[in-house]
Amino acid sequence: MTEESPNQAIPINASQPIGEVLVYIEQCLGELQPVGLELLGAGRQLADKLERPLSAIVLGYNLGDIPKTIIAQGADKVYVADHPDLEQYRTLPYRRVICNWLEQMEVEPHTMLLGSTTTGRDLAPRIAAHFTTGLTADTTELDIGPYEHKGGSDPSKIGLYANCLYAIRPSFGESLKARILGPWKNPQMATTRPGVMIPLKLDWERHGEIIPIPVNLLQEDYRLVVEETFREVNKGVNLTQADVIVSGGYGLGGPDGFELLNQLAACFDNAAVGASRKVVDCGWVPYVHQVGQTGKTVRPKVYIACGISGAIQHRVGMQNSDLIIAINKDPDAPIFKFAHHGIVGDLYQVIPEMIRQLKKNSNTSSTKEVSSIV
Amino acid sequence: MSGITDIIVLIKQVPDTTSKAGLNPDGTIDRARAKRMLNPFDRYALQAALHVKKTYGGKVTALSMGPPPAVEILLEAIEHGADQGYLLSDRRLAASDTLATAYALHKCILYLGKFDLLFTGLQTTDGDTAQVGPQIAERLDLSQVTYCEGFSIQNGKLHARRIIEGGHQDVITELPALVTVANAYHTLEYKTIRGARLAQELLRDEALKNQYIHTITLDDVNADPELCGLKGSPTIVAHTDKVGQIGGQCTMHQGKSADILIKEIMDCTNIKEFAKQ
Ligand SMILES: Cc1cc2nc3c(=O)[nH]c(=O)nc-3n(C[C@H](O)[C@H](O)[C@H](O)COP(=O)(O)OP(=O)(O)OC[C@H]3O[C@@H](n4cnc5c(N)ncnc54)[C@H](O)[C@@H]3O)c2cc1C
Ligand SMILES: Nc1ncnc2c1ncn2[C@@H]1O[C@H](COP(=O)(O)O)[C@@H](O)[C@H]1O
Repeated sequence: MTEESPNQAIPINASQPIGEVLVYIEQCLGELQPVGLELLGAGRQLADKLERPLSAIVLGYNLGDIPKTIIAQGADKVYVADHPDLEQYRTLPYRRVICNWLEQMEVEPHTMLLGSTTTGRDLAPRIAAHFTTGLTADTTELDIGPYEHKGGSDPSKIGLYANCLYAIRPSFGESLKARILGPWKNPQMATTRPGVMIPLKLDWERHGEIIPIPVNLLQEDYRLVVEETFREVNKGVNLTQADVIVSGGYGLGGPDGFELLNQLAACFDNAAVGASRKVVDCGWVPYVHQVGQTGKTVRPKVYIACGISGAIQHRVGMQNSDLIIAINKDPDAPIFKFAHHGIVGDLYQVIPEMIRQLKKNSNTSSTKEVSSIV
Repeated sequence: MSGITDIIVLIKQVPDTTSKAGLNPDGTIDRARAKRMLNPFDRYALQAALHVKKTYGGKVTALSMGPPPAVEILLEAIEHGADQGYLLSDRRLAASDTLATAYALHKCILYLGKFDLLFTGLQTTDGDTAQVGPQIAERLDLSQVTYCEGFSIQNGKLHARRIIEGGHQDVITELPALVTVANAYHTLEYKTIRGARLAQELLRDEALKNQYIHTITLDDVNADPELCGLKGSPTIVAHTDKVGQIGGQCTMHQGKSADILIKEIMDCTNIKEFAKQ
């Protein structure tokens, strides 16, 4: 259902200037976070569709080359707030600088995107509430298109809107994707899951404008101080960077099953162990392993789902993996509807065999007699 | 003296996703058959609020917005030790998105008056946005700590540890503040004997119940109906799509012994490329 405009309807706001597409770029202690670059990839497409510039906003201290990198990653303009009091992310100062900047713009951005990270989810609702504009959480697809609002309790909303942000996310409890829109007020806002959108290729030839923006903080913006920030990267679970993810579900039957999954993961060069929410809720493994709507979104080269039924909330977190192999004893399990290869069987028989053959492979691989890969 | 006198915790009733009733085989919800429950994330928020009461003193008020059956979760809060409950229930709230929900709830909070700490869950399992808390904080101009997984109160300030991408952060904030409680915090476990007894009495005695659980409307809290419900919501769900086939056809391997099945996988996929040499 793409709502093509009936020819008699005239778009509302057709004469009004359309604002730019603005992406919030996250950096932590001078290190760009991948989600911002992914959003530049997605934002570029939206901006091109709207025929408007793609702008980015970045806050921090001693940002160095970061603004240049943001342009090389796709932005036409970068708004930069570089100030000692912005060194670490804090809700109130960041929201002050961003809201002040948006307020003085002649035309407010059409769309504003942030990552659904702990920072994005902290900041985006503050900005949205400040401008009393719509915000869609955890989107997995974004687009621009027309929308005709035909009726409803509020007559002032009726009309044809030519260019709306389509913020698309899996909807709760149903095998549905919901397209959420709010063309009545700009910026139309959304947060997007890390790992979903694809960044553009770094292109140092790209031209763009770097625009420093004012930092005017008030006394009340200092109500919270950051004492210390601990980074625990690579604590054994690097789901977003692993080539292979071996994921376990309730079919493991108990926490001990993860022993077997660890052994399987150990057969690969760069592997991590994932889990369904059900096993996390059961306390078999910690939350950091969870894949899915309320866990991580992953895109490994190989995803091996063991004893996972394949509920929509799990699927949205791993469906873009290059190769999905599912092991489940129930031939009707939903996971077989979207896996590439399905093995029907008891995981306690299948996985040990997989380990055995992978190890055999590694022992004989030096002689290169293994059949070549299709 | 901690100086804490009033603690508010926001809780919501959602369809039950933990019991088999109302769950389709693929884990999706059949709303018609689903039971109701306290949003699982709000159990952590309630536990945090009760922890403050036990450790530092103060009175805990549980606040919810929803249809009349949501009184059930306010009773549950009382069983665990909350002092009172407020339910904002009004037909004009139907179809509120997060902005409209936050508007209505912030009006209730203003109506309740002074508070030191405002706890919310991280997110709901039905709305699933994690937006309502920070949106309320913006309306009330509060300092906020999201993803909080532990805290103490020292010299009238909140010392909290929050989760960030790939790590943690220790922060100190002035009060009042809004805290969204991560699911790494202790969950709600025990009912108090006093609370459980009281809840029993409230079930029997309507007049007594009305002293502990107050059902209020938009008019009571002086909220503008234009800013609530569908009218006050800047977003709408314009369209839903069935999630189509993704990942293409699944090649099934079955009915053979495990070694043959795995050999098939080894032959027709590239997983060996990733194996340790
Ligand atoms: C708002 C919301 C958010 C959610 N977020 C997430 C999320 O982020 N991530 C997530 O994963 N879930 C999430 N869920 C939960 C999701 O709906 C499912 O309940 C969950 O994914 C099911 O986990 P499972 O597949 O491990 O368990 P089950 O659905 O119980 O599946 C177990 C599977 O194991 C198979 N099995 C059993 N024994 C064996 C054996 N010996 N060998 C082989 N196979 C066997 C069974 O046939 C079955 O298919 C969410 C739900 C909601 C409502
Ligand atoms: N209708 C409601 N009544 C009370 N609290 C709510 C309501 N909706 C959301 N909340 C609170 O806001 C948190 C985040 O909700 P959400 O933004 O829907 O994910 C929840 O965990 C609750 O604490």
